[in-house]
Amino acid sequence: MSEIYKEQIASDPVPATTRLDRLAARKRIILLILDVLFFIVAFVLVLAFCYYLYSYRQLLVLYLPVFLDGLRVTIWISLVSVVLAIIFGLLGAFARLSRFAVVRWLAMIYVEVVRGTPILVQLLLWYFGFGAVLTQMGIDPYRIVYSLATTLQINSLFQDSNFDAYLFGIIGLSFNYGAYLTEVFRSGIQSVEHGQSEAALSLGMNSRQIMRHIIFPQAIRMVIPPFTNNFITLIQDSALLSIVGLEELEHATFALALPQVNPGNKMFVFIFGALFYLVICYPLSLFAHYCEARIAKAY
Amino acid sequence: MDLAVRAFPAFLSGAINTVLYCISSFPLALLLGLLLSVLSNSRFTWLRVPTRTFIEIIRGTPMIAQIFILYYGIGAILGVYGLAGLINSWTAGIASLAINYAAYEAEVFRAGFLSVDKGQTEAAYSLGLTRGQTFFRIVLPQSIPFMIPPFVNDFIYMLKDSAIVSAIAGTELTSVLNFWATRNSSNPLPLYLIAIVLYLLMSLPTSYVARLFERRLRAAL
Repeated sequence: MSEIYKEQIASDPVPATTRLDRLAARKRIILLILDVLFFIVAFVLVLAFCYYLYSYRQLLVLYLPVFLDGLRVTIWISLVSVVLAIIFGLLGAFARLSRFAVVRWLAMIYVEVVRGTPILVQLLLWYFGFGAVLTQMGIDPYRIVYSLATTLQINSLFQDSNFDAYLFGIIGLSFNYGAYLTEVFRSGIQSVEHGQSEAALSLGMNSRQIMRHIIFPQAIRMVIPPFTNNFITLIQDSALLSIVGLEELEHATFALALPQVNPGNKMFVFIFGALFYLVICYPLSLFAHYCEARIAKAY
Repeated sequence: MDLAVRAFPAFLSGAINTVLYCISSFPLALLLGLLLSVLSNSRFTWLRVPTRTFIEIIRGTPMIAQIFILYYGIGAILGVYGLAGLINSWTAGIASLAINYAAYEAEVFRAGFLSVDKGQTEAAYSLGLTRGQTFFRIVLPQSIPFMIPPFVNDFIYMLKDSAIVSAIAGTELTSVLNFWATRNSSNPLPLYLIAIVLYLLMSLPTSYVARLFERRLRAAL
């Protein structure tokens, strides 16, 4: 019986298309044409943007060394700040999870105050507040560090006259991000199941071994996406150091753009400076998306 | 200490200006964020890709750079056409806060729309509602309770990011702080203390209320 049915279907000359099928096919073709048109227009726009950059090439060649110097300062300050912020964050996380209530309360006050005030106010406090107080007391951190470096024969690294801005800028940034990283590390440590540390205790490990071999490796993979997002925000917040007088990328952009008389030139310099930040931050955000996707896949 | 007493009224008016900046720009950020999230989920590539590019650009550049581009760059360009009165520190601050936060609200909206059960949209289509009707009458109202805690958190972030508007000489709390600190550079710490206390008074109760709200919301769900 089924063989006769199959024969009939196989001998059908043309498969029947309904009106709905033809409409759907037409809609797909229209969407495909719109997509192709869009890619052509996008390609033309990218070429137009490259031509826009090219039309300012004299200004570009003149200002590029200043931008690259600012970029160097921004990258260096961000890396040093993030290392110090990780140290502050780990200290804060262990303090938040400590046995002693006083230590827990101190860490909570630190996190709440630092996260509740703007980072600009904190940077101003470190540089104009504590910096001025130190100058009044007669302590000059540049002289101390320079004489220390002279005894170690590395004082050529500290020739900068703007050392105070570097010092208080790095301290301010790392103090602020230490509070955010405290919360990130604390939630990463607490996200490891309690059963893991209970099993490790039953196997006879002490708490330092548990932290190092069991909790830390598993907490790291929960910590990496928020940590990368915080790193991207730290790089963008290092632009605020231009207000304190540090010669980094945003300061270079502002100092080069403001004297321009022609509005087109002014806009170009601002856009070019923002482009540098985009070039640093966009690959990092792609990396953060990739890490999040891999972690989501793992579970 | 009498410096602190003398400075306090000015700081208080600066704090009121901060709250005014945020209250003006947060609804704009929400509307613009809703528009961006709808566009970035669109079928049409020519709507989706530019919106996603715009969001990535806004999230990849520092907010101070965006404020400078808006105030100095677009201000200079508008000056050529005689429209320079449009850009003052209030409009530039509110506009750049709104545009910056719209990019983050778009992500919150997207997560909110994904949180609504897919069965709701399927039932709506089977009842014959169009895509627009399902979105505005079914999905959006149900996603709002889910999105309120992130919105309140973003409002608290906006209260702090409004300090960046002081870079274009606004009348904000940080501008007042800068003004008084440069004139009293021998004794700056009480002024910083007042500013920090005022910011904490603005952000800590809001975050406490947000956590209360979030706990009630999670209990209700």
